[in-house]
Amino acid sequence: MSAVIETSKLSKAYGKSRGIKDVDLTVEQGEVFGFLGPNGAGKTTTIRVLLGFMRPTGGAAEIFGLDTKRESVRIRANVGNLPGEFALEDKMTGEGLLRLFAKLRGVRDMSYAHELAERLGAEMKRPMRKLSRGNKQKIGLVQAMFHHPPLLILDEPTGGLDPLVQEEFLKIVAEVKEEGRTVFFSSHVLSEVERVCDRVGIIRGGELVDVEPTGSLIDKAFRHVRLTFGESVDPRPFRTLSGVEDFEAEGDELSFTLHSEPDRMVKLASEHKLVNMEYERPSLEEIFLTYYGKANGKEER
Amino acid sequence: MSEGIALRETTGTFGTLAAYMMRLQIKSVLIWGGVLGAYAAAIVASYLSFGDPERMEQIMSAYPPELMDAFGISDFGTIEGFLYGQIFNLIPLAIAFFPILALSSAIAGAEERGTIDVLLGNPIPRWQLVVGSFFATAVSLLFIVAIMGGLMYGSAILMDVELDFAASVEGVLNLWPLSMFFGGLALLCSAIFHRRALAIAVPGFVLLAMYLADTLGRVSADLEVYRDFSVFYYYGAAITDGIDWANFFGVSGVAVLFALLAIVVFRRRDIYT
Repeated sequence: MSAVIETSKLSKAYGKSRGIKDVDLTVEQGEVFGFLGPNGAGKTTTIRVLLGFMRPTGGAAEIFGLDTKRESVRIRANVGNLPGEFALEDKMTGEGLLRLFAKLRGVRDMSYAHELAERLGAEMKRPMRKLSRGNKQKIGLVQAMFHHPPLLILDEPTGGLDPLVQEEFLKIVAEVKEEGRTVFFSSHVLSEVERVCDRVGIIRGGELVDVEPTGSLIDKAFRHVRLTFGESVDPRPFRTLSGVEDFEAEGDELSFTLHSEPDRMVKLASEHKLVNMEYERPSLEEIFLTYYGKANGKEER
Repeated sequence: MSEGIALRETTGTFGTLAAYMMRLQIKSVLIWGGVLGAYAAAIVASYLSFGDPERMEQIMSAYPPELMDAFGISDFGTIEGFLYGQIFNLIPLAIAFFPILALSSAIAGAEERGTIDVLLGNPIPRWQLVVGSFFATAVSLLFIVAIMGGLMYGSAILMDVELDFAASVEGVLNLWPLSMFFGGLALLCSAIFHRRALAIAVPGFVLLAMYLADTLGRVSADLEVYRDFSVFYYYGAAITDGIDWANFFGVSGVAVLFALLAIVVFRRRDIYT
């Protein structure tokens, strides 16, 4: 496997406390990489630097081994891009846009474009000014994917889409992955990232704070525990276990979050008649909130 | 380079891009050409209402010569002289706003609308966006002056006014470099600033300042020196005197220079949407 996207100490400073700082990122060929962060964290800035729309103020970035500053045209010939705010000239229709982009990219076979439009339910014959945000987004997705690029860079791709279309989009992403192509997409909708991404990068305040396989990120995090006993138990030993937070005791039921290994808790529970034990991993959403819980006061980027 | 990925090479995109930009301007070309042509036709019609040329000369001789100089009116006894005073002396103030509006929109306007990201998501070099916009607007402007000239000359034929065809062509064609001068400046401002309003305001202000400098320089010996700095000084009166080709190409060259500077600026700066 080889790196499709590789950044080294990539920085972009503009304005006061805005931009990204020392972002080291590697995205391998054939993987689906989720780039997570709330609005203003630096996701879009990173993407704009990768596509050559912005010049980095420090570090370097390569896509397909090509320098993003010097060879951005060749890079863009091989990338399907959906900008965060997809906008077109008001008079233009989706069909007109695709015809134009097909000419610009030297694409003759439009069958995949039509297939994508049909699957996503995109209205290709209406002018942009008459389309809702969701319908514009569908056209944006079609134009990003119709030319079978080896790399898709999608900035908040499901924004404005209804759940059925989101589901179809995630299926398409899975198909793209099966074909060995690479997908890099930013999102703050964690459930979709959890479903399709091989790895996740979390950006906060312009800095990449963690990159993990999606599963590992979830595995290493806390667990929600609910213990139901056949009789009332003394809650104090459980409350004082290492790593226990949000402890609640109600009758014969104890619930808490556990931030450490379960061994001690299981042994303690086994001293009583245990009727039921729920041991749930958190959603990525909750993990994400733990990253951002401390950053609420940060300025938007 | 990444192993196992057969990268696509870039394809020729300039022709497609320029054609797309021209298509976006078709409606504006018809409106601008139609309105300016209708105005020119109305002026031709008004020439008849003044009666015979000798009477016209008598009327005009009653006006102070400074006023006549200020507006470049030298000869109302001929249709060409009349059209210069009534159309070609003033209409650059209007027609220059076609390339100003079109080219201010090319970069800063596209950033404000958010459309530039989608377009440049394709393998288009930045210089092509600048040159394509300039080229498309230059061609559109030629169509506008052609429509205007056609309506002006056509109305003269219909009204049996003896308007010289070659003089008409030279009169409308001479509007092109002057207008593209301000269009080029708008394109440069569009590349420098991220706001379209500034890319309109700066060339608009320069347009009025240069017009005033030329107009006042004609009537005041003290201010005459400032005429050299006004592009209107090099515009002349092509419908009566023919095109001064040195000035025509000189002013066109400055417009192209503005576009080249816009490429340099735009290649170095960030794109915001």
